[in-house]
Amino acid sequence: MKYVAVIRQVPEGEARLKIEDGRVELSSTTMILDQMDEYGVEEAIRLREAYGGEVVVVAFGPERTKEAVRTALAMGADRAVMILQDGYIDPVSEARALAKVIGEEAPAVVFTGGQQADWDSQALGGALGEALGRPVVTWCTELTLEGQTHAKLKHDLDDGAEVVRAPLPVVVTTQQGLNEPRYPTLPNIMKAKRKEVREVPAGELGVTGSKVAILGQLVQERQRKKVSIDGTKEPAGAAQELIRRLHEEVGAL
Amino acid sequence: MILVVLDNDGKTLRKGALEALSRAFALKEAFGPVVGLVMGENPEPAAEEAARYLDKVLSARIERYTAEAYAAVVVKAAQTVGAEVVVAAAGRTARSWTPRVAVRLDAALLEDTLASRPQDGKLVVERYSFLNRVTETQAAEAPVVLTVKPNTTEVAQPGEGGSVEVLEQAPGEGGLEVLELIQEQAGRVALTEADIVITGGRGMGGAEAFDQVEELAELLKGAVGSTRAVVDAGWRPYAEQVGQTGKTVQPSVYFALGVSGAVQHQSGMNKSKLIVAVNKDPDAPIFKISDYGIVGDVRKVLPAMIEAVKKLKN
Repeated sequence: MKYVAVIRQVPEGEARLKIEDGRVELSSTTMILDQMDEYGVEEAIRLREAYGGEVVVVAFGPERTKEAVRTALAMGADRAVMILQDGYIDPVSEARALAKVIGEEAPAVVFTGGQQADWDSQALGGALGEALGRPVVTWCTELTLEGQTHAKLKHDLDDGAEVVRAPLPVVVTTQQGLNEPRYPTLPNIMKAKRKEVREVPAGELGVTGSKVAILGQLVQERQRKKVSIDGTKEPAGAAQELIRRLHEEVGAL
Repeated sequence: MILVVLDNDGKTLRKGALEALSRAFALKEAFGPVVGLVMGENPEPAAEEAARYLDKVLSARIERYTAEAYAAVVVKAAQTVGAEVVVAAAGRTARSWTPRVAVRLDAALLEDTLASRPQDGKLVVERYSFLNRVTETQAAEAPVVLTVKPNTTEVAQPGEGGSVEVLEQAPGEGGLEVLELIQEQAGRVALTEADIVITGGRGMGGAEAFDQVEELAELLKGAVGSTRAVVDAGWRPYAEQVGQTGKTVQPSVYFALGVSGAVQHQSGMNKSKLIVAVNKDPDAPIFKISDYGIVGDVRKVLPAMIEAVKKLKN
């Protein structure tokens, strides 16, 4: 069986974001494999280890995304397809392009992150499922295969969780806690350099443009008071001071 | 035409539905009249309620929620009324079916928006991106699917009233089979709607310590939140998780108790008006975004906070 992990490259969560001409400027920002996608890569590798088969990484983004592809290959994915696209394209349009490549691969399970750390979008999994005509299980925390035809999955709902049986192929979006992604070892980093990375320009997959235009971006950080109260020696006194100040200084509570 | 999909609990409309209605009404002049759609196992009561706000409400019975089934009904309703804009509250379920609707209607998807307005025939929205750190302005031409971030919009007021029509639909085909449903008791106050949120982290030390978090929440009429670590440890229900992979909140006051404040957690609460943190580690990242912080053991500080609040309330 084949397992596909969709990946993207995003800014490292703690990296400072620079705005230039009303746009986030990423050329000097530390970029990483999206951690939510990383759960998908790890789970795909675990499935291969348990049931055999092949792990294919399908990446989407500009040239620099290849660094994230190398990371995924070094974790243990077998090969990669890199869809090259410069500039912003909305997740729904991206899903249509991804579906063309993934459809040809005909995998049993497709993984994608539950939410992308740059767009703060949750649309990729659902749109991919629709474009592939397959069911989607969102926010998955547990997955086991039942033979060649079904998977049993646990996933988060708005208020609770659910265990479902899904017919394969299925699209799965990841949730924190699905697994603990492995670190690439040095020998595997070396091996990854020889693995196949096929490049496909997004234009060849029918991508003509984004349905959503970004008109502007700005970083609006609230100025915080940063009042610090020492509660190491007299916790009770510190608590009283806190509640009093919240009440008197900001009219809270 | 505008189709507004109205979230409900089988009895009444949820607050998110009334916010979505407000957003839809504000787009009337640009995109035409508003029609409601109520879906669920028992849509009638909420559909009757919705008819107080709208001329026309469609009611569709769906035996069990799946994203496929909901998407199919929304697409059918949108096509039936000729809607160019579909509006819904951005809960986890709506964020699962809306991308499917966008693909089928070949529409743009504007997700989790803070505000929306018509401009030169387009729909322009504000939303957060980059782990809630960037405020972004997006624009799209109709057809558009728009989801409304909870607690961003005044709720709609009832109008002259209208009528309910049943939307007939074919029974959904196979797909996911539910083996087990782990339902959680909803808190007194919905987390995403609460004015005060009190979140406990791993520093609370165990599930029992959350009795005090609950007590403080009760005193302040707030909601209890938790971190992914706490949820994973089984101390608290999933529904209470605040963060990138949980719920996003922006209350007037956010208490982070024994929460270190990883970026993933911050992305779910960094827009709160006032942040109050208690943590024994003075270098915990949460203090960098806090207005008031106590460096100390939360298990000693919290009981004293409860006492101080009780005194204040008397």
